[in-house]
Amino acid sequence: MTTYVHLAGIESGYGFFAPNVPGTCKLVFELHYPDGRTESQVPAVSSNASGLRVVTLLDKIGRPQYDPLRELIIKMLALAVWREHSDATMIRAVFGVVMLPTAEEFEHGVRESSEFLYSYDFAFQPAGSKQPNP
Amino acid sequence: MVLYCLSIRKDWTYLLTGNGGLISRNLSETILALESPLIPRLGWIVGLGGHLGLSELSILSFVWYCLVTAGCFLLLGLFSRPAAIATWFLHLAAVKSADLLSYGMDNLTTIGLFYLMLSPLPDHLSVDWQWCKWRPKHQDLLGFWRRVLQTHMCLIYLFSGIAKCLGPGWWNGTNLWRALTRPPFDLISAETLLRFKHFLPIAGVAVWLLEIGYPFIIWQRRLRRPWLIAILLMHVGVGITMGMYLFASVMVVLNLAAFGPGILWHRRQAPGDGSSFSGSMIPSPNN
Repeated sequence: MTTYVHLAGIESGYGFFAPNVPGTCKLVFELHYPDGRTESQVPAVSSNASGLRVVTLLDKIGRPQYDPLRELIIKMLALAVWREHSDATMIRAVFGVVMLPTAEEFEHGVRESSEFLYSYDFAFQPAGSKQPNP
Repeated sequence: MVLYCLSIRKDWTYLLTGNGGLISRNLSETILALESPLIPRLGWIVGLGGHLGLSELSILSFVWYCLVTAGCFLLLGLFSRPAAIATWFLHLAAVKSADLLSYGMDNLTTIGLFYLMLSPLPDHLSVDWQWCKWRPKHQDLLGFWRRVLQTHMCLIYLFSGIAKCLGPGWWNGTNLWRALTRPPFDLISAETLLRFKHFLPIAGVAVWLLEIGYPFIIWQRRLRRPWLIAILLMHVGVGITMGMYLFASVMVVLNLAAFGPGILWHRRQAPGDGSSFSGSMIPSPNN
């Protein structure tokens, strides 16, 4: 039965954005370089369609049932960023959720805010061998 | 399917590789294997290619080209049955191997491809029918499979609508505001949206009313045409305002496949077409 529901595409429910629209999860990487520089990066892809998939991934790992996997997935995402910035020696991954104001709050000047959820530090050796130390 | 492939082309290998990509495909496939070892995945094809000395990147690119080709064949109706099976299998394998990156649109595409693969093929407008003069072996099952898809669409909308009306957010417009201002769907600026804030509760209620009403109204002779058009416009609206073009196009295609014939256009009765089962239960608007 499990195989069949996957083959037919009916393994998940149909409550799109219901009953509530959740806040957007956000992941920011702080890249630390040996000379003391720091810069911020977000997981990058080439198209909007792929970006939507990354947002889906972040929303998934923000859910409680993904607790055991979250660190592993963020570690993989950090590694993907490090490949593009291999001179960085430490990457701090900051995971949070963007809180959106209601229409009334927005009208009164309230803007989106971020709520911190988790942080992970991954250390890298300049030679290229990865040594994550969360 | 062609649009799906083109939309993800630049990131195809980056999202699906086992090593050196965004996240490892092996993670999704390991989780998948815990659920069932029989669910298709790209790892099977990559493993097979490995025995032939082909690299993972080559195999992934090959799969992308196969998917595009199969999608084009489906569009033309050329080798309809093999194309439908290949498209379903390769798409499912790609989606399941990137399960952590997949969302509702992928499930709905799988649903559509699954029914397409099982339905009598070729269609009377296809190259197979027109040029090759091939005919379906069991055309009498066309009505049955259309009815299954219709029932499935009704269930999707019913439960989606019920889930929406359970929370207050779809009554007072809050959820519509949040959906439209939530990154990355915030194509319309919040300042612009604010001008229509009194319209949001009406639109929010209209969305779940349309969805809950779908399984009931779509069978009513007088109301089904405007209801179907309203649902199609809702999906087009979602596509334009939230940038979910693929999701919108998949929903439009599924709706047209399920209810288009007989409601939006006259269903052509091909010689030997046994789909009168469908016609008898859904009288033509002109009846």
